[in-house]
Amino acid sequence: MPTEVPYAADAEISLTYDELEVLRLQYEKEVTQAHISMQTKFNFAWGLVKSPKREHQVEGVRLFQDIYRSEPTRRRECLYYLALGHYKMGNYEDARKFNALLLEKEPTNLQAQSLNALISESVAKEGYIGMALAGGAAAIGTLVLAAIIRRARK
Amino acid sequence: MSVPPSRARQKDESKDHSEPIASSSTTNSRLANISKAIITPFSSYKSDSTKVLSDLAPVLMTPKIINAAASSSSKSTQGYNVSQRQRAYRPTAKAIDFALLGRAPGRLTGAGRRLTSHDLEIVEATSELLEADIPEPEGVAADVSLLRGFNATIPSSQRGKTRRRKTRNVDTPHLGLKRLGMNARGLLNDSNYDSAGPEDSFAQGPKGRPRRGRESLAATVRLGREELERQAQEILLDKENLRVRRTLIHAESSEIVAKISGLEALRQKLDKDLLKIQEEELELDDECNSIPDCLFGPSPDGPCVVESVQDRLAYEETVSKNPNVRPSEAHVMASQSIRRKKGPAFLPSEHDELPPAVAFMTLDSHHGAITCLDFSEPYGLLVSASANVAEEGGESELEVVKCVQVEEHVCITGGSDSKVRLWDLRRAGESSSGNESGGTVSNGEDGVFGEPSEGPCVRVLEGHSSSVTSLFFEDATLVTGASDKTIRQWDLTTGQCVLTMDILWAISHPPLAASAASGPAAGLLKAVSGPFAVATPPYADGSWDMYQDFVGGLQFWGYALVSGSGDSAVRMWDMRTGQAHRTLMGHTGAVTCVQFDEHHIVSGSLDKTVRIWDLRTGGISDSIRFEYPVTSLQFDSRKVVACAGENGVKIYNRTTLQLSTLSTNGHTQPAERVRYMDRYMVSGGRDSRVKIWAI
Repeated sequence: MPTEVPYAADAEISLTYDELEVLRLQYEKEVTQAHISMQTKFNFAWGLVKSPKREHQVEGVRLFQDIYRSEPTRRRECLYYLALGHYKMGNYEDARKFNALLLEKEPTNLQAQSLNALISESVAKEGYIGMALAGGAAAIGTLVLAAIIRRARK
Repeated sequence: MSVPPSRARQKDESKDHSEPIASSSTTNSRLANISKAIITPFSSYKSDSTKVLSDLAPVLMTPKIINAAASSSSKSTQGYNVSQRQRAYRPTAKAIDFALLGRAPGRLTGAGRRLTSHDLEIVEATSELLEADIPEPEGVAADVSLLRGFNATIPSSQRGKTRRRKTRNVDTPHLGLKRLGMNARGLLNDSNYDSAGPEDSFAQGPKGRPRRGRESLAATVRLGREELERQAQEILLDKENLRVRRTLIHAESSEIVAKISGLEALRQKLDKDLLKIQEEELELDDECNSIPDCLFGPSPDGPCVVESVQDRLAYEETVSKNPNVRPSEAHVMASQSIRRKKGPAFLPSEHDELPPAVAFMTLDSHHGAITCLDFSEPYGLLVSASANVAEEGGESELEVVKCVQVEEHVCITGGSDSKVRLWDLRRAGESSSGNESGGTVSNGEDGVFGEPSEGPCVRVLEGHSSSVTSLFFEDATLVTGASDKTIRQWDLTTGQCVLTMDILWAISHPPLAASAASGPAAGLLKAVSGPFAVATPPYADGSWDMYQDFVGGLQFWGYALVSGSGDSAVRMWDMRTGQAHRTLMGHTGAVTCVQFDEHHIVSGSLDKTVRIWDLRTGGISDSIRFEYPVTSLQFDSRKVVACAGENGVKIYNRTTLQLSTLSTNGHTQPAERVRYMDRYMVSGGRDSRVKIWAI
């Protein structure tokens, strides 16, 4: 049975500030009790990852890593969430690694496949931007060079 | 320009991903090399992941860390024999470079973002996490995915419920419920609260219908079919949520139960450790108490004699009083024994290497059951006596040594011939079988005793009328008990009997406190008037004896004497008056052995128990049950060592209250006598063997 995970689009929809606060309070309360249940941790981490702020995403991914380390039974789902988190942060490599692991385990997982496609797209996009920049920089460099040579010739 | 060719190259490389590994690998290698050649001037980084790292934190990433990261990541992508998976996520060098450049706009706009340690933490952890094993999800994980749990437990899962409740909210004429509630809570009325609100406007129902008196609230609201269907759906979903939450809670509570049992086990282990510490503390106390004895330097007479000031004083006093007594003899008579000290003894260093609870030495020269034994110090001189069963000759009565005590080189024995003999072991060494450590001086086998003036036997004390069954001496005082039911006190310097304590008399004249109970005492008196002989309960091997030793055990300290006798009473005597000032009743069989220290008296008897009495109150503080009669014991603050009619020697730990048995390489018949000093224990049994243990 394939693991139930949300589509990447879901990660773009963030929770309201209040909702996130509630989750945060719940999490912190359990921290003081020294026993954090899996569900609270996940709720909080997922809420953080969905947020548009970078530091929230970082914190969320860190929490997901904690879950990954401590709960072997939940690792498969965590792979997806970690991939998603890294994707949102822009660490496409890590995202790809995690996603690839998940696809190895569950080749038929639709969400994982769609995430894979998204990651490749983003990587390619960055590549194009990079190429454009490099091209632009090269063009400017040539112009500058040409100006210098012209001046030198004069 | 380099741009168009690189673009073309990139297209090539993206195609390469779908080609088989082998061919793409070679093309990639060429392309990779070319791209590297072009790109290298622009960057000095080693590999893709380290580039990411150094991009993230150029300041923090020292070359060392970069190298470490490079070596770890290169391990996973060694050579070109990589798995399909790694192929899939390893983009070519060129694409990465451009991707990095492409990130520049992002980085420029997000210039305010500070890198935190969390970023690094995440990146560093990634590689380690990827190595981890991913088992099949089972239990809760299979049942309820995280996302499902999320949707069931976030606050918005309550949305449906609140919405439904709102639909059931009815606009009623103003009831002033809030004010009622505030009053009930004891709060003051809010003066701003407009109680005289526009009540009139609410006098009518929502649809302008005037609400009649007893009409139900539900009748005023009409929800409509769609709304109701929607509510039904919502309720189903909420029920599903509840199931999810229930599953989660079950899983969590079982997890907590497991944690609790783990912690409980930890706590029990800590309790055991606490007990061990208590034991060690008692041991240290014993050591500390024995130090004053050892504080003063060795005497000129012998290296092993350590005395305290009082000893020296006593010695000098005896010398001055009896100028004709030889100094060595006087010293012997006056020396305070270090032997009965409870602290640690001086053992050879090899003793530490011995395995504990194992009989590492067996002395096998006796031919009959061992009747008594004692030793001067560990690895010193051991004196043991046995009863030769197959006795030839016309001796009707066996001349058996029934009790012995050894202090340094002085040995005193009491025998069934009712005589008490003093021996000087220094003289006995030459004539017997070796005087090295563990050497035995066999006595009492066939009645060969040395002459008083020469040979090992120094003196013979006569006075008892039946076999001397128990003795104890210290300094120049000796106390003996015999089957004639008397206890005699002797002065070793003169050899005279100083005091005779009659147990029968003590039985018939009980101490003041119990004088009213003279009736039962008379009965007891009658019972023990005749010659004393009781049948012992059978030992572990089924054998039993007629036990005839009326005085089973003796010990004194100063002028306080404790005796254990065949009338199953433990008596405390005052040797100045010769009266028994206290009788401890409790045993139901003849008492075979006693010992006391500052706090307790411990006695063992044929009724298969060892009782520990509190000296101050005279009450029983502990009682150890055995399966067979107890014949010999010794105790200290931490343990009681007893021979309880079994082949193994029993050790009772007084801190943990646990009973253990020493039987490795042990006796093959019941062990009857035991003595120990610090970690060196000697036991003798019916199998005529003397075994030496390390405890």
